[in-house]
Amino acid sequence: MSLDLVRVDDRLIHGQVVVGWGRELKPDLVVLADDEVAANEWEQKLYALGVPCSMRVEFATVAEAARSVDAWAHDSCKTIIILSDIDSLQRLCNDAPIIRKVNLGGVHNDGDRQQHLPYLFLSEAEVGQLRLLATRGIEITAQDLPNSAPVTLEDLL
Amino acid sequence: MNRGCLAAATARLFLFQGSMNPERLQGLGMAVAIEPLLRDLEGGPAGKAYHEAIGRAAGFFNTHPYMAGLAVGAVAKAEHAGVPSQQVDRLRMALKGPLGSLGDRMIWEGVLPAAAAIGLSLSTMTNPFIAVGAFLLLFNAPHVLLRWWGLRAGWRLGIDVAEALSHPVLQAGLKISGPMAALAIGFAIPVVAEWLTTGLDAAARWGTAAVGLSTAIVTRWLVPTLGAARLGILALAATLVLGWLS
Amino acid sequence: MEFTTVGGLLLWGAVVGLDLATIAQVMIARPLVAGVVAGWIIGDVQAGLIVGAILELFALEVLPFGAARYPDYGLGAVAAAATAGGAPGVFGIGIGVAVGLLIAYLGEIAIQLIRQRTAADVVSRREVIDSGDISVIYRLHLRGIVRDAARAIALTGLGLLLAAAVRIAMPVGVRGAVLLGAVAMGVGLGTTLVSGTRIAQDSRRGLVWLAAGLLAGVAWVVVR
Repeated sequence: MSLDLVRVDDRLIHGQVVVGWGRELKPDLVVLADDEVAANEWEQKLYALGVPCSMRVEFATVAEAARSVDAWAHDSCKTIIILSDIDSLQRLCNDAPIIRKVNLGGVHNDGDRQQHLPYLFLSEAEVGQLRLLATRGIEITAQDLPNSAPVTLEDLL
Repeated sequence: MNRGCLAAATARLFLFQGSMNPERLQGLGMAVAIEPLLRDLEGGPAGKAYHEAIGRAAGFFNTHPYMAGLAVGAVAKAEHAGVPSQQVDRLRMALKGPLGSLGDRMIWEGVLPAAAAIGLSLSTMTNPFIAVGAFLLLFNAPHVLLRWWGLRAGWRLGIDVAEALSHPVLQAGLKISGPMAALAIGFAIPVVAEWLTTGLDAAARWGTAAVGLSTAIVTRWLVPTLGAARLGILALAATLVLGWLS
Repeated sequence: MEFTTVGGLLLWGAVVGLDLATIAQVMIARPLVAGVVAGWIIGDVQAGLIVGAILELFALEVLPFGAARYPDYGLGAVAAAATAGGAPGVFGIGIGVAVGLLIAYLGEIAIQLIRQRTAADVVSRREVIDSGDISVIYRLHLRGIVRDAARAIALTGLGLLLAAAVRIAMPVGVRGAVLLGAVAMGVGLGTTLVSGTRIAQDSRRGLVWLAAGLLAGVAWVVVR
């Protein structure tokens, strides 16, 4: 039935996602689309423990996730996709044009990013990637929690 | 590991968020807390291993403050076990989210509101200092235990720290804390409402109820981003202004 | 207000403000605790209890996930107790809560400001931090704590000034005071109802537990 949230958050699964957004959207499935986590079993074990038993969690590489997006979007269960960075987001959106709306929930500084919001740091390359996605009509907003005010990409940059 | 170092690290967990900032969140706090556990790395505090481990620990980190001990212990153990640096970084990164999610659900959505609602209810029935004391005790018994146990469990298990998270007591706490909070809040609402409005006339009581219902509607459905503090400020300011005008 | 009372409140404000996130988090920053003790310092425990309890109803909305932003209701409760303390009957409650909410909101903004300053510190010393120089890390960490203490003391001071101003020129009569009190309680109770349902919805059969609690509470009120 629905793909309820596509979120970029370098903390992946944590309280803001499973409790904050979880209570608002009540997802059945949380997909963690990250190449490194998909390759690492003990990390998956940890992330799986962070998800309440009311939600299922699946691990996928970005490419695998892109192949399944259509199925999730038309499935009867509600799905959240979590990505770790803007680069993964771009790859996912390129391969899965059905995604029309994305949420920036947390990208933190790794050295050469500029701060835009307390929880959002972007490099120039990432700003370029986001602009490109926006020109394709994808709605991009930054919002850490459902009850905080969303900020559109234009206001952000 | 000598017990002094474990004790020092435990104490420093209580300063975990001292330098919270959007750049690294609790990164510096992580370095401060883990430092006593890294002192006997090869070469000691002057050595290369110590400095590299401290530098790594000071990177971006964000988790539930009460669960942080598990990460501190596990990362320190991994450093001692000679786990490659890249994998230590992955461990730190992989721990923050799940620990945060568990702590948020169990503490912020369970133990805290449950204890606060019990404290509120008690303050309508007994001496306020007893109510406050009961609240602090109910909340801090699990809180302090969690910090103390977390560090030791993390230190014992190192990279296998996931095992600690399936501890039956922790899982039971996770299951019952939410329903307990709901029960306690449910009980507190009528009890506190009755206690606060004692002495008000009927009109003022109905007014309070009407404001309460409007608040619920506004914050739940109409403007969920407003928040209670701002709504309260607006409502009280409007009341003051209307009072002057009339 | 006596000099020692002001000193005591500033000190208590510092402890409460630091407890919110920076040191210990043993929840003396909860408005119920902060309010009762502030009331005791002023010599009016009852007033501190009532404004503290009302602000506690507000504070149940707070879920301090990650680095989310939330009002500093503890500092608010200290200011609210200072405003309401000594005022007869219902007089100080509404206006006390109003001052408390304002300080709580300013406290939230101030936290963001000091955290930005700490972030700037971290950026300017990034290489030294990443090289594992623990003495620099200690210094920056301590600076963060000192900043937060300064924030707490400054806001408590501001709260005391507001309290004094309100007490000199109390802007309401009896009817107004009752009305303000009713609005403050109403918003608080409404907030708790919403927080309760949100928390209940997140756990298994939570709404049943919430309803059971409500029934038990009503029964308690009726029987007593």
